[in-house]
Amino acid sequence: MDAKNMSEITRRSFLRISAGAAALTGIHLPKTARAEEAGSLSTLIDLSLCDGCTDRAMPACIQACRSINANKIPPVAEHIPEPWPRKTIEDWSKKQDVTNRLTPYNYLYVHRAEITVDGERQTLFVPRRCMHCDNPACATICPFSANHKNQNGAVVINPNQCFGGAKCRDVCPWEIPQRQSGVGIYLHVLPDFMGNGVMYKCDLCNDRLKEGKKPGCIEACPRGAMRIGPKKEIEAQAQARAGKIHGHIYGQKENGGTATLYVSPVSFELLNQTMTRKPGQPDMKPGVERRMAGTDPLGKAVLASPVLGLALAGAAGWFSRRRDRKTRQEEDHD
Amino acid sequence: MTEKILSEKNRVVRHSRLELIEHWAIAISGLILLATGIFELPVAKRYYIITVPGLGWTADFITSLYLHYAAALVFTAAGIFHLVYHGARGETGLLPQKGDMKASVTVIKSLFGFGQEPPMHKYLPEQRLAYAGMAWIIILLVVSGLIKTYKNLYAPDLSLAVVLTATWIHNICFVLFFLAFLAHMAAILLRPNWPMVRGIFTGKVRLDYARHRHALWIADLEKNTKSVDP
Repeated sequence: MDAKNMSEITRRSFLRISAGAAALTGIHLPKTARAEEAGSLSTLIDLSLCDGCTDRAMPACIQACRSINANKIPPVAEHIPEPWPRKTIEDWSKKQDVTNRLTPYNYLYVHRAEITVDGERQTLFVPRRCMHCDNPACATICPFSANHKNQNGAVVINPNQCFGGAKCRDVCPWEIPQRQSGVGIYLHVLPDFMGNGVMYKCDLCNDRLKEGKKPGCIEACPRGAMRIGPKKEIEAQAQARAGKIHGHIYGQKENGGTATLYVSPVSFELLNQTMTRKPGQPDMKPGVERRMAGTDPLGKAVLASPVLGLALAGAAGWFSRRRDRKTRQEEDHD
Repeated sequence: MTEKILSEKNRVVRHSRLELIEHWAIAISGLILLATGIFELPVAKRYYIITVPGLGWTADFITSLYLHYAAALVFTAAGIFHLVYHGARGETGLLPQKGDMKASVTVIKSLFGFGQEPPMHKYLPEQRLAYAGMAWIIILLVVSGLIKTYKNLYAPDLSLAVVLTATWIHNICFVLFFLAFLAHMAAILLRPNWPMVRGIFTGKVRLDYARHRHALWIADLEKNTKSVDP
């Protein structure tokens, strides 16, 4: 290719690049995560109504949840492979009856809070389960996308794709997902070196939602302390209820917003003081931040990086064409 | 033209400064992406990597994500720059040519003492094939990575089919990128390739080496030099 033709082609190409770069910079990106907006459901848990079903052997919500999810975990391997080199095995198969904390067999438990407010002793019951966050790190940075936020708001782990690495539990501010070793796909890959079971948690009864039914816990609650509905409506109901009882809301801002709103007659600072954070027993620290939010500006820069590359190529192309032209002129002159 | 014979110094300019910057931007950011990609898997605690002095942060997936994003910014911009800048200038010397597969076999056999190398251009035939392979891996990594980043920021409820496709393309290409990196390093270990290593640091290689191994390239350079001589 002779120099003149090359110069023309590059000029034309760089014009196209500049136009492309300009067009790309105009790409509209949403201001908020889509899951915070249309089509998604939310739940409301009214602590002023929940009485912990103290008249029953087990709270109705827990009973319904356990009944619906009773056969979710397949039989656990007789000899659970010992992971190498850290030999952590989490086997709940012989402790399936535990209901006072989250386990792979128990996705909901009820915390009993004894609180003294203005000299008056009160007992509150706090059903705890996955909050189904608007932008859940447990799902977005699952290395195999085994955990996913559905458009209806439910955050669902696919037990057939999960390797049980427990990353989701590490990045969850409440450490909700719980591991059962000795089950899942990892047994068929490299069980000694990779994976360690399957993570389990509340999936908002996603299968029931698809059938137009309510989650089991909500349907079973004898006091009507739990509700589910379109996100905006539930938010409005939570605000109205909190206004009526001069109460407080938890879950609207926490971890960047969630699809679970607690309304409480006492502050969550006080409620949180009754909770000692332990495995399977999350606390309720108000205003807990979404740690991934800190990475968002860099993430936006990554999305803009193709435009940066194009702009740099355009600029470098312009300089190199000018240099080539100068060299040719000097050669012609000589 | 950057390529230039410097007879008095027994050197020939093989890479421009810009090309060196591109190479090292992609190489360094690529290595950071590989490392932080590994640390996005739950391996740091399990394999006691966190006990290595200075690597305590590796179990924190969010810290790894900061680094992964920072490196991805450089990697993507440098990759796009490379494709567009050199594509627009019509610089196609690294693209595979007809007969490269057969010629690669001959060259590789000669590296182990079987037969003789054919005269070669600036790039070896297996370099051109490796470049094309690496380019596809990088393109797929970048596109799938951008989809994953968009999902992290704006659409956690993006279609599961799209998310799964992007995730598995990213994961598979991550493994291929790692293997390609190992192959790249293995090529450096071969003695006949040693003189080229200097080139990727300084931009220049020995002229006697180039005359011997890249005879077609040097012939082209000399022809062009003569054609512009008065």
